[in-house]
Amino acid sequence: MPEWGRTTLEMIVQDLQRPVRLDESFERRVMVRVRRYYAQRRRRSRGWLAVGASITHHPAWTAAVAAGIVAVATLGVLSVHPRTASGGVIEPTTFVLVAPTARSVAVVGDFNNWGLDDSALVATSNQGVWSVTASVPVGVHRYAFVVNGVNGKQWMADPTAPRSSGDDFGMPSSALVVEDSTK
Amino acid sequence: MSKRTTRSLMMVAALASASVTSANAQDPRVLPRLDAPSRAAIAAVVDSAKAQGIPVEPLYDKVNEGVVKGADGPHIVVAVRNLALDLATAHRALGALATADEIKAAASAMHAGVPAVELGKLKKQSGLRRSLTLPFTVLADIVSRGVPVSTAANAIRSLVGAGAKDKDINDFQRNVKVDIEQGAPPAAAAETRAKGTAKPENLDQIDQ
Repeated sequence: MPEWGRTTLEMIVQDLQRPVRLDESFERRVMVRVRRYYAQRRRRSRGWLAVGASITHHPAWTAAVAAGIVAVATLGVLSVHPRTASGGVIEPTTFVLVAPTARSVAVVGDFNNWGLDDSALVATSNQGVWSVTASVPVGVHRYAFVVNGVNGKQWMADPTAPRSSGDDFGMPSSALVVEDSTK
Repeated sequence: MSKRTTRSLMMVAALASASVTSANAQDPRVLPRLDAPSRAAIAAVVDSAKAQGIPVEPLYDKVNEGVVKGADGPHIVVAVRNLALDLATAHRALGALATADEIKAAASAMHAGVPAVELGKLKKQSGLRRSLTLPFTVLADIVSRGVPVSTAANAIRSLVGAGAKDKDINDFQRNVKVDIEQGAPPAAAAETRAKGTAKPENLDQIDQ
């Protein structure tokens, strides 16, 4: 570095190293500004709370907030996709059985109380290919076909579905896993 | 916010949640169709299941099924008790994060002869996000078709470990079923079809 440059640099450094004399009121003025800034912020946030309080104190607003809570709770359960009364998603599911000699075919399972109280799903025939589509809650289910044929009524597992292992009452049934199409 | 307002909001929230909860509760309409002792026995099983955090809906479904199939009360009670035991064991084996459907499917697999410990291993291996409802259902199916439990469990473990989707596992079940119906030995069918479905890096699991 040339001599003149070093001299200039030293002068600058010396100047920067010289202690700055602050006005005696400097610290007090800074602290006043700081306190004022935080006081404003506190007032702003209290303003939010104040608005909230005035809303909830008013009977009409209280009712509105309450209705909102109920609506949110209900909509959470009954949103866009079809759902059961308990909030479970339901999916259209088609059951098909080939039974050319059957007079009628119905589907019973845990999703329709196994056909209690006439809740069995009655299939329609297309030249012996019986089918019915129903809304079934997402999850794992057990079901069977009840075929009314030449030998009377007969329970049949779905030959195309996994077997269900819980046949405690001596009649076969099938397992069905209904997946949530919204996921 | 005033105390009064807070209290009323909490009451509304509680009412909303109570309405959802009551909708979730199973309506035991079918119980009056049973004789009084069977009804009492089933109520006790259901209460015990509730206390253990076990899903009770499958227990009511079992009652419905028994009534429709013409079973007598004591027979239905035995079936419900056995199911409650299987559900409790499955619940313990799978852990607290298992869904009600997974527990139901696991109980079904146990009914087919799969030990709870195998199901617990599968759950541990699969992680939290993977639902094992379908894998357990297929496991129960292939065991009921004659595939030895260890072979079936290894096959399902390898498929789940390889990241097979439910659709792949469904296809696996169908193929195994057709192979067996065509005369293939069940174990050979399951091993071969699992190898065909799993990724190459997971093949060694099937041979174990």
